[in-house]
Amino acid sequence: MILKFKKIILACLAVAAFLISVFLPQTAAAHGERATEPSIRTRSIHWYDLTWSTEKIAVNDTVTMQGKFRLMNDWPDAVAQPSLVFLSTGGPSAVLTRVETYINGLPAQQSFKKMELGRDYDFKIVMKGRVPGNWHLHPVMNVHNAGPIIGPGAWVTVEGNMADFKAPIKTMQGLQIDDTENYGVARAQMWQAGYALVAVAWLLWWLRRPLLISRWRVLQKGREDLLVTRADDKVAAGVVVLLLVVVIVGYIKINAEFPQLVPLQGSTVYTEPLPEDTGGVAIKLKRAEYDVPGRSMRLSVEMTNNTDQPLGIGEFTTANLRFINKMLPTAVAAIDPKYPKELMPANGLVVDSNKPLAPGEKRMVMLDTTDVAWEVERLVSFLSNVDSRTGGLIFFYDPLGKRYISEVSGSILPVFKKTI
Amino acid sequence: MTVNDQAVLDVAEMSPKIAKWSRTLDALIVIVAAFLIMSVSHIGFLLLAGDWDFFIDWKDRQYWVVITPVVTIMMAAAFQSIFWKLFRLPIGATASVLLFLLSVWIVRYHSWEGLAYFPLSLVVPATCLVGAILLDAILVLTRSWLVTGAVGGVLFGLIFLPSNWVYIAPYFQPVENMGQMTSLADWIGYTYPRAGTPEYIRIIERGTLRTFQDSAMWVSAFFSGFICVFMYVAFWWLGSVACSIKYVPVGIKMKEAFGSNNAAKKVAA
Repeated sequence: MILKFKKIILACLAVAAFLISVFLPQTAAAHGERATEPSIRTRSIHWYDLTWSTEKIAVNDTVTMQGKFRLMNDWPDAVAQPSLVFLSTGGPSAVLTRVETYINGLPAQQSFKKMELGRDYDFKIVMKGRVPGNWHLHPVMNVHNAGPIIGPGAWVTVEGNMADFKAPIKTMQGLQIDDTENYGVARAQMWQAGYALVAVAWLLWWLRRPLLISRWRVLQKGREDLLVTRADDKVAAGVVVLLLVVVIVGYIKINAEFPQLVPLQGSTVYTEPLPEDTGGVAIKLKRAEYDVPGRSMRLSVEMTNNTDQPLGIGEFTTANLRFINKMLPTAVAAIDPKYPKELMPANGLVVDSNKPLAPGEKRMVMLDTTDVAWEVERLVSFLSNVDSRTGGLIFFYDPLGKRYISEVSGSILPVFKKTI
Repeated sequence: MTVNDQAVLDVAEMSPKIAKWSRTLDALIVIVAAFLIMSVSHIGFLLLAGDWDFFIDWKDRQYWVVITPVVTIMMAAAFQSIFWKLFRLPIGATASVLLFLLSVWIVRYHSWEGLAYFPLSLVVPATCLVGAILLDAILVLTRSWLVTGAVGGVLFGLIFLPSNWVYIAPYFQPVENMGQMTSLADWIGYTYPRAGTPEYIRIIERGTLRTFQDSAMWVSAFFSGFICVFMYVAFWWLGSVACSIKYVPVGIKMKEAFGSNNAAKKVAA
């Protein structure tokens, strides 16, 4: 009976161990995009016009992610300014490999310096499928001393077999390297195994003898001569000579084999921002509130149309969420049908009057963005932020479909009933 | 058993039976000590050197060459001190670096490649094993920790570069990437992205050790050897302290507090 009980317990433990080993070490699907403080997500970098070339690729196929980003003028004081940045991707390590990255058409292998607030840049990232799976692909701007600021993500499915992955490269001397994942590893292991062989022989030379207690007692009795002998001296001298000869010869040979080498490249790059929009719409945020029970952000904004065309309010984008004014067909038509639906709240942007802003007109406009997305995306913790401010971009469209972008930012009040 | 081994047992006053049990104890302690040395050496290195030896695109001509041996010699010297002072065993440095290298490869395969999908070419480790063996051998030849520190310390720092360059050099072949010349190491680091390690976080090729044109690596190697001498001495001393028994003098009041100083109580009465 007891034996049976023991067997049942052992079987349970085995099953538990199996389940834990299978299900516990899972790759993280999310990577902290909702963990960043709302003040950073609403007022630092706004990504827009993002496209992903495809939702599904095979191993070795590429997916291109491109778009633009605006560095907000009202950059949070608590966050280091983007004086040094590196464009990358968010996601679980090297499941997709990086083929090309560009900012304003310049290669972005290295970091970029002196980015300008209030200006726009475009970017392009080409990634290649390596590990089969369903991966969330974001653009990420790493800001020195501030950390990663993550952009909108879309799911990309990689199909196939990881063993088929290839990332070949040809050196400038013409050496073709097909397996870059393991290049040089066997050479390193061979040399290190050689060193380790000498080390193991050295350890065995000493460990084969009577060891701890006996040596300690002999040492206490002052008979050190028995512990380190003339034979040990000869072995030690032999080891020194052997290693020096091997290393010096190896060093000379490797330099002869690879005479042209280059150091790591660590320069930084500067690029002018994209040409600035002149005119457009001047914005003054008069009051902003977040209705906590209603899950609604409302902005009371004074807008002045400085263009010679009537402008409709098409979109409010903040923290990677796009609130679209569905009453403006131009704004709806501007949406890429493949854009991630979860980043476009269903209720969209509600404007108190959809009458276009006439050229030169100054008007108070109420923008209402009511959606559960504020909670889902964890954007309501600005109630506890060090600076309770919010911000975003407002997109305007003229009758010909030309777009104007204005920044909006200012203090925000948490309220529990509607006041504006 | 050699004549010398028998002489050791005789001086230690060990009968064959006791010697046999002593040998069993040796085996047990060596196994336990191996894990201890491995983990202490590994943790010490991770805390102080970390990225410079994680990634191939961090192995620059200045900081990698300086920092890796300077950090590695710390635990090597401490363990050498312990084994030498207690048992006259010149194996501490070799054991520390060998076991560290073993654990590094386990982690590279299991965690970096197995769990995180990083290719091994991105995370090829370097090793100070040659320097460590030389350090132990010089201790045997000189029987002096001070001379070992002065000669072996310099050699430890100096030999790191050539003993690793024999397999790291191919990673510095020039390749073209997006119209720019770059090293293969840079290209590997760029191609296999690390979400949490932006390019600018690398600290490479900064400072003034570059004044000898293309000889920056050897200038760094000599500087490393210089610093290794001081690190060796400091951590030899630390190892000596770690294997010494010290008693803290306790006053009468402390003894009274714990009720162990009956004599003091009687005097007080």
